[in-house]
Amino acid sequence: MMLVPYLLLGAVLFSLGLIGFVTRRNLIIMFLCTEMMFQGIIVNLVALGRYPLHGQPTLDGQVFALFLIAVAAAEAALGLALVVLLYRYRGTLDAGAWSALKDE
Amino acid sequence: MPSLLILSLVLGAIGLFLVMPGGRTGRARVGLVTLAAAGGALAAGLCAGQDGRGLFAGCALVALFAAVRVITHKRPVYSALYFVLLVVAVAALLLLMDAEFLAAALIIIYAGAILVTYIFVIMLAQQSRPAPYDAKAREPFWGCLAGFALLALLAVRLFSGTAAMPATVLAGTVEGVGTRLLTEYVIGIQLAGLLLLAALVGAIAIARRRPANEMLPEGDE
Repeated sequence: MMLVPYLLLGAVLFSLGLIGFVTRRNLIIMFLCTEMMFQGIIVNLVALGRYPLHGQPTLDGQVFALFLIAVAAAEAALGLALVVLLYRYRGTLDAGAWSALKDE
Repeated sequence: MPSLLILSLVLGAIGLFLVMPGGRTGRARVGLVTLAAAGGALAAGLCAGQDGRGLFAGCALVALFAAVRVITHKRPVYSALYFVLLVVAVAALLLLMDAEFLAAALIIIYAGAILVTYIFVIMLAQQSRPAPYDAKAREPFWGCLAGFALLALLAVRLFSGTAAMPATVLAGTVEGVGTRLLTEYVIGIQLAGLLLLAALVGAIAIARRRPANEMLPEGDE
């Protein structure tokens, strides 16, 4: 049974991306960590399509992973455009420079 | 849930906390050893007594090593390069799952297009020396604790009873994926094209806006 190792690997990649997103302070690295979470989800989708719980293997997981890649590309373009804009405002990539809205 | 996996989760949490940027070099070295032990325990737990899992374990360990380096490296360019290694390892895993087309698409789109955009932006906003916000992580203890708590929850659920079933062969994925995309999911692919177009226009509209108090290091306009 190969499904569980792949799902576990996807979960580990997602968690590592989450940890990186929470702990790093560089805006670019934070976006890179969201891409890492996407990698974990892609592994999950393809594994569930390849080793389904019921019935025959299908290709739907791969098709959904392709749509996910398209969404990731759109997200990267918009996110990096925002990062460039924020860098122009403050001259730094530190996420802490934008904490004016923080509730404290 | 096998005890080796619990051991590897605990070791991984401790090791990741130790290698987070901000600590001393000796601490990072101890953390790397701990992480290697965690990876070994994970590989042993997943492959114990099973044949044909060596390739999977190798690719998975490369992917995990690259992922840890992405979130702990102090230089953003190296983080991006380790992300390329992660994408290649994930593509190899997809090949093991007979998803040839998706593996090629992943490398072309992620390593070829998205990562190049990241490297452009990193170059654009490059600091002359390592920036202080890269050298120190924000709340590494609570971040690692929360992430590994989520991971432990997922792992416990994963190992709490799944039925074993034979894996059947899935042939001709390029043809199959193409047929699926252009028949069953044709609306979806049109929408994906629309989404990409909207993102393109939006990115241009956002990035060309000029702030009043521009603070670029060298005024190049």
